[in-house]
Amino acid sequence: MLDFIIKRLIQVVVVVLLALTVVFFLIRLSGDPTALFLPPDASREQIEEYREMLGFDRPIYIQYGEFMVNAVQGDFGQSLRSKEDALPLVLSRLPATFQLAISALILSLLIAIPLGVLSAYKRNSVFDRISVALTVLGQAVPSFWLGLILIYFFAAQLNILPSGGAGSIVHLILPMITLAAYSVARFTRFTRSTMLDVLRKDYIRTAKASGVPTIRLVGRYALKNSLIPIITLVALDLGTLLGGAVITEVVFAWPGVGRLLMQSLMNRDFPIVLAGVFIVALIYAVINFIADILYAYVNPQIRVK
Amino acid sequence: MKKSIFVLLALSLLLMLSACTEGTAGTSNSGKEGNTSSSKKDSLVIAFEADAGTLMANTDVNYVTDTQIRNVYDALIGRDGQSGEFVPELAEKWENVDELTWRLNLKEGVKFHNGADFDANSVKFSIDYILDDANKSFYKSRWVDVKEVKVISPLEVEIKTSKPFPGIIQRIAEDLLIMEPGYVNEVGTEIAAKKPVGTGAYKFVEWSRDNYLKLEAFEDYWQGKPQIKTLEFRYIPEYSSRLSAFLSGEVDLFKNIPVDSVAKIKGDDKSKVEEVASARINYLALNTFFDGPLKNEKVRQALNYAVDVDELLNSVLNGHGTKMTGPLSEINSAYVETKGYDYDKEKAKSLLKEAGYESESLTLTLDTPNGRYPMDSQVAQAIAAQLQRIGVKVNVQVNEWGAHLEKIRNREMGDMFILGWGPAFDPQSTIEDLFTKVAPYSSFYDKDIETKIYKTTALFNEEERLAGFAELQNSLVKKAAWVPLWQQADLYAVRKDLNFKARVDEKMQAYEMSWN
Repeated sequence: MLDFIIKRLIQVVVVVLLALTVVFFLIRLSGDPTALFLPPDASREQIEEYREMLGFDRPIYIQYGEFMVNAVQGDFGQSLRSKEDALPLVLSRLPATFQLAISALILSLLIAIPLGVLSAYKRNSVFDRISVALTVLGQAVPSFWLGLILIYFFAAQLNILPSGGAGSIVHLILPMITLAAYSVARFTRFTRSTMLDVLRKDYIRTAKASGVPTIRLVGRYALKNSLIPIITLVALDLGTLLGGAVITEVVFAWPGVGRLLMQSLMNRDFPIVLAGVFIVALIYAVINFIADILYAYVNPQIRVK
Repeated sequence: MKKSIFVLLALSLLLMLSACTEGTAGTSNSGKEGNTSSSKKDSLVIAFEADAGTLMANTDVNYVTDTQIRNVYDALIGRDGQSGEFVPELAEKWENVDELTWRLNLKEGVKFHNGADFDANSVKFSIDYILDDANKSFYKSRWVDVKEVKVISPLEVEIKTSKPFPGIIQRIAEDLLIMEPGYVNEVGTEIAAKKPVGTGAYKFVEWSRDNYLKLEAFEDYWQGKPQIKTLEFRYIPEYSSRLSAFLSGEVDLFKNIPVDSVAKIKGDDKSKVEEVASARINYLALNTFFDGPLKNEKVRQALNYAVDVDELLNSVLNGHGTKMTGPLSEINSAYVETKGYDYDKEKAKSLLKEAGYESESLTLTLDTPNGRYPMDSQVAQAIAAQLQRIGVKVNVQVNEWGAHLEKIRNREMGDMFILGWGPAFDPQSTIEDLFTKVAPYSSFYDKDIETKIYKTTALFNEEERLAGFAELQNSLVKKAAWVPLWQQADLYAVRKDLNFKARVDEKMQAYEMSWN
């Protein structure tokens, strides 16, 4: 088991370093940031002077080497624009992103699991069909559109919720719903299909035949067994929610990591982009690592492989 | 089992909802706030597309940053909001002692927010801050000709330059904001950049990054108490969200509404649109650095005849823009009327023929940014369609802004590109920075013109200088240096009962605003 954990841990490190490397070279390809920061009337010599000052004039492999050596020690440099340290700047946005992602996740579970269970139990009923149609819709609707529609109705028309920003519970409601919509659809479909599988099992039929009440049958025997695959899906989704809330954060002016990353990318503020990618990649890798360990704990066959 | 899981989930959701994000606990600004206008309002919320880069003065060359911090810091010299002319702010008067020396007399009795007195030392400190490499100020490139700042007396300061620098007054007006030396030295730049102290009409209260900046009126402001007591800048990156926030009453004012949203805002009975012809100009650059047909003056003239600016203004911009005919707009201090090229398809065709190009034989490229200027990429498409009428095929290339700028700076542009320039109040920073060999932004270069430019910009006699620029404007038009398009229209969405007059320099000074 220890062997397995060490091996997986090394993989986490490799994944994060690889992500940093790829992004480092990709953003360099997008061009030189000095031009965007200097006033337009700056001369070529002055631009060169700044490139030197910021270290962009050196060969890229040297810049890369230096960046990696510093990054490993947790130093991602300073924001080109605000001159603040990049990593603390990204970390300071993490609580907002966590708050949004986790509340969206919980909301989607609260809706999806009962919906999925009921759909499976009342298979092919009108309720099931409506719920399937809704989940297809939920997965198909782009979040920027759903977000804007919600803002239009609840903020601009009804004027009962703020259109964006953060600060109090009411600010969280609309972005949470927007972000949860996709997960609700995914979880409902998944719960429904695993539930259908389980309901077909012999022991359920036996339990049914021996007169176990329906609520107990579904809630205790069937749901418990179908929850295991859902938990792994939740772990994966959490990674996506934490790293992929960019659009929702932008639409709702939510001060999280995704929005900071997006803006820094447009501004070519490289140190922030790299620090942000580091954090997101780390979260992803660690969540997957934990999922792997849990799996291995549950299923010894994986350890051997 | 099932029940307990759900109770657990529901409880944790409640917990998440009640856990406020850092630095924001306790501040509830719900959606209804803006609509309770029964009592007299004394707060104002202005929305921006992005957060300020820093709250440190003299560091970040960026419209969004500058507009916000100008409510906290004052300049030595300001501009009149309507004419664009220089007006005294913290400096009472300024004069040119000799070619290399400028003297400024400062206002007496001005206080910083922390109670410190404003004096010549603060001016010296603020300029030295720009010049000090350690501060990595992006303004430095504009100030390199300043050799030394000398404090003559508490209210008198002298700026020595290493070469004649007639444009320095403009630099003082546009770049320089006055910081409190004692405060910055005491807390260090890192903290001063987050909690600014200036002499401006508003004091710092709270800054929640990517969320809002809150300021309150400075009661001892040297121009008198501000009428609006609390000022908040809110950052909403997405335009549609910004518009919704405005229509719902959460936001009172924001700049840059797209021309196709004007009717919607005008139609709302709590809102109005304010418009001003800005000092920012848009143009179609004709690249003579690129080895192509545009090196030929006749081709450039043909393009000037073939682009119908009035049609572009009416059909693409819904009339929001002021047509230009030469290199400078009417707001520019050295503007003279030049005879432009009126739309004439036949003349364009015959000029092309004279230049040796048969109809349908010419293909040009046109680069445009997307969303940087009003309707920029749509304007580019429309220009391509207009040039098609004289048989010139145009390939339009749409670039992300950063890439567009870099292509221009690296001189990798093809035949034509769209760009804006501004604020263009004075002739030197427009003509010299656009039409010389070292300046890539118009990508037009002509040896004779360049000689004339350098001769004119070195002149200190105002009359000779103006005459020189007048001559230059006419020659630039004659040589068809570019296709001038228009002065951009700055469009603001404004709450109906807010007294707000749009300024030509794009600033938003809450001190000048009040509620009806």
